[in-house]
Amino acid sequence: MKFVAIIRQVPDGEAKLREEGGRIDLSGATMILDQMDEYAVEEILQLKEKHGGEAVIVAFGPERTKEAIRTALAMGADRAVFVKHEGDADPITEAKALAKVLAEEAPTVVFTGGQQADWDSYALGPAVAEALGWPSVAWTTAFELEDETQATAQHDLDEGAQRVRVRLPAVLTTQQGLNEPRYPTLPGIMKAKKKEIKEIPAEELGVTGTKVEILSQAIVKIERKQKILDGTKEPEKAAEELVRLLHEEAKVI
Amino acid sequence: MLPLSEEQKLVRDTVRAFAREELWPLAPAYDESGEYPWPQLGKLAELGLLGMATPEAWGGAGMDAVSWALALEELAYADPSVAVIVSVTSGLPQYMLLKFGTDEQKERFLKPLARGEWIGAFALTEPQAGSDPAALKTRARRVEGGWVLSGTKAWITSAGQAQLYVVMARTGEERKAITAFLVLKDDPGLSFGLPEAKMGLHAAHTAELRLEEVFVPDERVLGEVGRGLSHALAGLDSGRIGIAAQAVGIAQAAFDIARDYADEREQFGRKIRDFEGVGFKLAELDTKIAAARHLVWSAARRKDAGGRFTLEAARAKLFATDTAVTATREAIQVLGANGYHKDYRVERYYRDAKVTEIYEGTSEIQKLVIARELYR
Ligand SMILES: Cc1cc2nc3c(=O)[nH]c(=O)nc-3n(C[C@H](O)[C@H](O)[C@H](O)COP(=O)(O)OP(=O)(O)OC[C@H]3O[C@@H](n4cnc5c(N)ncnc54)[C@H](O)[C@@H]3O)c2cc1C
Ligand SMILES: Cc1cc2nc3c(=O)[nH]c(=O)nc-3n(C[C@H](O)[C@H](O)[C@H](O)COP(=O)(O)OP(=O)(O)OC[C@H]3O[C@@H](n4cnc5c(N)ncnc54)[C@H](O)[C@@H]3O)c2cc1C
Repeated sequence: MKFVAIIRQVPDGEAKLREEGGRIDLSGATMILDQMDEYAVEEILQLKEKHGGEAVIVAFGPERTKEAIRTALAMGADRAVFVKHEGDADPITEAKALAKVLAEEAPTVVFTGGQQADWDSYALGPAVAEALGWPSVAWTTAFELEDETQATAQHDLDEGAQRVRVRLPAVLTTQQGLNEPRYPTLPGIMKAKKKEIKEIPAEELGVTGTKVEILSQAIVKIERKQKILDGTKEPEKAAEELVRLLHEEAKVI
Repeated sequence: MLPLSEEQKLVRDTVRAFAREELWPLAPAYDESGEYPWPQLGKLAELGLLGMATPEAWGGAGMDAVSWALALEELAYADPSVAVIVSVTSGLPQYMLLKFGTDEQKERFLKPLARGEWIGAFALTEPQAGSDPAALKTRARRVEGGWVLSGTKAWITSAGQAQLYVVMARTGEERKAITAFLVLKDDPGLSFGLPEAKMGLHAAHTAELRLEEVFVPDERVLGEVGRGLSHALAGLDSGRIGIAAQAVGIAQAAFDIARDYADEREQFGRKIRDFEGVGFKLAELDTKIAAARHLVWSAARRKDAGGRFTLEAARAKLFATDTAVTATREAIQVLGANGYHKDYRVERYYRDAKVTEIYEGTSEIQKLVIARELYR
């Protein structure tokens, strides 16, 4: 059996990003393997450990994406196919190129992050499935391979949960709770050096440009309200006010 | 910054993510309880961090010295106690076994250390022999099939916890007639003092090692008989890069806390970072830390290149440990009263930093080494 994880590279959540001429400048930022994709990598490693076979990484992006690929290989994946593309690409264009790679690889099942941590498209996983004519299950929190032709999965939403049986091959997108991604081990890092990364220029897969052009980008600044309630004088009133604010303004209780 | 290879970056980023997730949150509790951090060391062992620099053939990860230093910096950033335990077990016993051990010794002792199944310790210092180790009094008496060791070792990191001790003992009358022995925790006649009540590094136990007629068979002599002091000093060259990296990690952690605090705290209607008194302080610390890191990397690169690195290691240790003490002290200053409070961590880094100027050769001894190297 063959298990594939599609991964992306994104800025670290703690990275300091800057706007430069209407674009987000990533040159100074630490770039990491997308945390949603980490669940995908962990899942295919566990599948391989349980059922045998091969764990393969597939990635699309600029040259620096190789760092994220190395991380996934250091976690334990066997090899990688890297579709190299500098510049923007919309998720549908990207999915079509990836679908060609997957059609050739013919995996049992494909996992990818449920959303991308830098620019949430939510689209990549389902679009890859669509391009291949495979079924897709989004927001998976549990996965059980029954045999080479079918699996069961838990599909969670804010409002409820579904358990589904899905025909394979299929594309599943991850979410938090699916598993606990492992850290790469140092011997894993040493071995990753020697693992194959097959590079394919995106043009060879028919990518000529992007169909959605990004005109400008901006960082949303979240202003903290930092409301401080004085609880020293009338603590009961302050507590009531706190409850009211949490309920009506913050809407968390 | 000097460029790092892709692999070195991956090591740094991996250890950083691990240490900040797993070690950082628990470091204050370990400081408070003074418990030896076995659960943390177990996690490190799983990632291969306890045998980082030992070749794969001997159970390690086979990383270069630069990666080793990068990893120690990241560990120290999160928990300096864990970092010193790792620096000692990998920098001293493993390094000495690799360099001076027989294949059989490597098989029996280096492998479990490198795999992280064992922790190793280095026992040179005695109550009356610190900076002047050649004055050590622990004796090894020749008997049939081996040696019998008697004496007391003081201030031994991981004593009572470690499974293997590299013990330097006197095997002749001349001042430098010293030999290194591999002593095991369960050897009859070996006992330990209680952990010393230290200023900092509470989780990294330091205790006495008491040897009362401990029989050590010939196959547990490490290196050459009579060359133990020179073997130990070679070990310390390697260990000092680790301690220097630990110092950089401590300095960087305290600095980051101070930098962020100065960006939030307002007095006189402005952020305190906008006062020259604070801004210049941060500028100086940032420069010192960057310089210290470069010295550590250049010592590590020298080691990787295979040459002698006594001078580079001494320089790195001297400068980085001074930087750690300065940076932690000044970080407390930037935080004002909060810096004096445990919640803000910088007081602990200050306590942890001080000893880096003392162990594996005091700063004065580093200067002695450097001054000698200048005329070598
Ligand atoms: C937490 C901790 C962990 C330790 N872990 C270990 C360990 O694992 N293994 C081990 O063997 N030891 C260990 N040590 C011991 C450590 O290496 C010694 O403390 C150190 O070498 C200094 O020796 P000393 O404390 O006896 O000081 P002393 O040698 O008595 O020095 C006192 C002062 O005199 C100065 N001085 C001494 N000689 C000279 C000179 N020639 N010129 C100028 N100044 C001089 C010193 O710099 C120092 O300031 C540890 C110590 C501590 C505190
Ligand atoms: C143990 C202890 C006991 C205390 N006891 C008392 C007490 O009994 N009564 C009492 O009233 N207070 C007491 N204090 C509070 C103490 O006086 C304050 O901590 C002190 O005045 C500093 O204020 P701060 O901590 O808010 O630091 P901040 O004023 O926030 O200063 C933070 C940093 O910014 C620097 N800074 C601030 N302004 C400038 C500037 N204009 N230019 C350059 N640098 C600047 C400071 O020097 C410091 O390094 C105590 C504090 C401690 C720790």
